[in-house]
Amino acid sequence: MTATATPPSTADWRSRYRRWLDEVFDQPASVRAVAIARIALGPSVIWHLRPFLADALDGSTYLDVFQQKWWPWVPNAPAGLYVALLWVGVAAAVLMTVGLWSRAATWVTLTVVAYNFFLSETHFRHNRAFLIILLAGVALCDNGRVLSLDARRRQPPDDRALVWPVWLLRFEAAAIYFASGFSKLIDPDWVGGRVMHDRTLRYQDDARDALGDTLGDPILEVLTARAFQWVLSPVAVATELFIAFGIWFRRTRLAAVWVAVAFHVGIEVSAQVEVFSVIAIGALAIWAIPSTRDRTLVTPSRWVRWFDWMARFDITVVPGASWRMVDRDGTVLEGQQARQFVRTRLPATFLFSRFWRYP
Amino acid sequence: MVVQLGLVANGYRDPHNYFAFQPFNESSTYAVELVRVLPDGERVGVPYGRWDGYDWDELIGWRALQGPWRQRHAFSGVDAVVDYLDHALDWMAENTPNDTQTLYLEATVTYYRNARGPYVTVIRSQDRELGGP
Repeated sequence: MTATATPPSTADWRSRYRRWLDEVFDQPASVRAVAIARIALGPSVIWHLRPFLADALDGSTYLDVFQQKWWPWVPNAPAGLYVALLWVGVAAAVLMTVGLWSRAATWVTLTVVAYNFFLSETHFRHNRAFLIILLAGVALCDNGRVLSLDARRRQPPDDRALVWPVWLLRFEAAAIYFASGFSKLIDPDWVGGRVMHDRTLRYQDDARDALGDTLGDPILEVLTARAFQWVLSPVAVATELFIAFGIWFRRTRLAAVWVAVAFHVGIEVSAQVEVFSVIAIGALAIWAIPSTRDRTLVTPSRWVRWFDWMARFDITVVPGASWRMVDRDGTVLEGQQARQFVRTRLPATFLFSRFWRYP
Repeated sequence: MVVQLGLVANGYRDPHNYFAFQPFNESSTYAVELVRVLPDGERVGVPYGRWDGYDWDELIGWRALQGPWRQRHAFSGVDAVVDYLDHALDWMAENTPNDTQTLYLEATVTYYRNARGPYVTVIRSQDRELGGP
């Protein structure tokens, strides 16, 4: 007898759509990933505010230099108040990271960063815009329920809260990769390698200074070749588009995350992008499925607990036992297979593990 | 989500592509020749952006527009830089009260868009009110 698959009916799609809406807007889920983003954003905010504070310590603020207002109704803070606000932002970022008054601290941080950003169009950078979006998404979530001093003090029953802001953040993150990739795809100068080639030629002396002649010469010979950039540019565009779409699907998500990390490390090495690399890699946490400890793991190793920051496993450490992992769908993996699977799900080790799915 | 999509679409007409996320969009370069134009039409060069005790680089305070006398990378593309320069000239005209002679500032911007060019565009500040501080 042969079974034939029937395509989902309209009613099926409606039912799936309703389930998805419920999941997004009504069902509480783990906010651990948001908490990880909160922790990563704190130091990023301090690093972002650092040049403004350095100028202030030298006696100069935005009031002393060219300012191009976004909107005339945004009030200019007097210099003293402005500097005080920057320090408030730093303090709030610290509180955000340690998770003390987490949500209020995140809102204050967002307010300071956004106010500073919108004081002048000359403060605009893509990475700063992304930082504001991330702060807003994290602030909208009850992000202090886990991995925070708040959680230690209040001890909430679980780490669950409404996670619709996570979906918003996911959309924003994917939109950024898409917008960047698509704009380059339709630009013949970009996708044809002209932009990258010209930039590489212009900055080759800086690269040679950094690498030294012995290492720099052969590398630059390749990098400055027109043919190399003709190949590399479409690859870079494809990479961004792959991340933008691949990250939505369970089968390709791990690969997309891996590619994204490599992509951002590459950008960080080759360009000055302020906090972009750090926040973009930190933001990858939001793609983790917002449920925790829904896989059981029996292991002889204590190290798994230390590295299971996303709480992917309900771990029982049994000295001398062999590895055994029961997945969400009831699949049981044992021994080497279980150990390998665990490595693919730990933030610190997944990059070095195989990322395809196990049967 | 709708706002973000709108901003992404707006990036194709906005020279700055604010919130449209088009980083590293061009490899363009530009250079500026700045002059002060006096009420009688005389054009006075401003070598290295210094005049009447003012210093362009110091007043601009932003690396993307500093030292434009030599060929520079165009931050966020040529169109964005020309727009910023246009506003910067107005700001300079308003914030240099010790200069009692200049009617307006004029910048001749020579640029290469993704290594093609040179192209030239001229921008000027608004007229200043003369009569001393």
